[in-house]
Amino acid sequence: MSNVCEDHIFSSVFKAHSKTVFNYIFYKFGNEEKAHDAVQEAFVKLWENCAKVSPDKAKSFVYTVANNLYLNVIKAEKVRMKYADTTNDRSHESPEFLMEEKEYKQKLEDALNALPENQRTTFLLNRVDGKKYAEIAEMEGVSVKAIEKRMHLALKSLREHIDGI
Amino acid sequence: MQENYLAKWLNGELSETELAEFKASAEYASYQKLKEVTSTLKAPDFDMDQALAHLKEERIGTAPKVITLNPFKNFLKVAAVIAILLAGSYFYVNTLNETVSTEYAQRTEVTLPDASEIFLNAESQVSYSKKNWDKQRDVKLKGEAFFKVSKGKKFTVSTDQGTVAVLGTQFNVENRQNFFEVTCFEGLVSVTYQGMETKLPAGTSFMVINGEIVESPMPQGNAPAWMSNESSFERIPLKYVLAELERQFNVKVTTQNVNTEINFTGTFNNTDLDMALKSISTPSQIKYRVEGDNVLFYAGNTP
Repeated sequence: MSNVCEDHIFSSVFKAHSKTVFNYIFYKFGNEEKAHDAVQEAFVKLWENCAKVSPDKAKSFVYTVANNLYLNVIKAEKVRMKYADTTNDRSHESPEFLMEEKEYKQKLEDALNALPENQRTTFLLNRVDGKKYAEIAEMEGVSVKAIEKRMHLALKSLREHIDGI
Repeated sequence: MQENYLAKWLNGELSETELAEFKASAEYASYQKLKEVTSTLKAPDFDMDQALAHLKEERIGTAPKVITLNPFKNFLKVAAVIAILLAGSYFYVNTLNETVSTEYAQRTEVTLPDASEIFLNAESQVSYSKKNWDKQRDVKLKGEAFFKVSKGKKFTVSTDQGTVAVLGTQFNVENRQNFFEVTCFEGLVSVTYQGMETKLPAGTSFMVINGEIVESPMPQGNAPAWMSNESSFERIPLKYVLAELERQFNVKVTTQNVNTEINFTGTFNNTDLDMALKSISTPSQIKYRVEGDNVLFYAGNTP
């Protein structure tokens, strides 16, 4: 039987989930350093408990450890997102358009930071990491319906914030 | 429009009609733009290979070392707990009082650290602190005892009825239920009863029966009668005499048609039950019967 204690299995679990763990903690608290630490902490715990955690449980194990690590401990900081490189397209746009685009992105960042932590995390996991609602529901330990609710409310708040309603 | 329709729209789950309705709404353009822009969002860079290398080198590499230290840590924990318990019990035992007690029909002698002596009558108990004896000569007494106190600092006998304080002398303290008597045979004894202090010179006694201070007769000899195996009474209610009889011979005394409040004057022997019973019954004009450990006293005219 395959075991997380085996080096190649552990490495594959790490490759499959470390990035999402990193993003997950980053979306929650906006702190890259803490997100890096969470990845290290979660996978060290997984290694220490490798005999007890089966490979299919490893995913939810690392999310739980990472989540519990900072439970009520740190205050959320500003979440600063980047954008996919679109400079090639941008060079053809007018300065006015670029200016507007910049303003829009600023508003979006403010709006994202104004969201409750669980809505922001859920929204970004879906939009940036392409996680399915069911997957996020499993990570957060809630129902798919609750995730849909969060997505709906997040979209609504973002639009209201950006359109200045 | 169904519940959470924005989430459904983002996930492409809206029906044709719902989608058409949503597209017709004023805010559709805003949502569409939001959908487009957020799809280009990126999280900060995360170097997975470096993180994995770091994990393997620095964290997992050192983990086994920590585990090997654990048994020693546990040993230290246990050792610390044992050390604390030992130290704690040493101090606790040191502060405990020495206690000497006697049962019915028993008598014993206690020699205190300063060579003072306590003779303990039947059914009695004394306790004192051996460790603090040099600082405080304090004895707690239940029952009856005769004290020969060496000269020195104040010597205190505490009872639940009164306190006796002396410097160096010989005296007897009897502290029984509703009966408290202090007899001084040598030197000077100070008795504090209900906050009132009485000085007893040699050859006097202080007696409280049922909470009342009673005139007491002059003691005879230079030690209480029980020290020479006799129990001596002068104008003492019969019930206290019978209680003493119970203590000296370990018997159960019952009475029938006998007034135990009348005063008794006399002495009974503490070694011979038959003689003691005669000594009590003859002057009181009552009869007695012995059945094993039970003694029944009854009035002369009843069978």
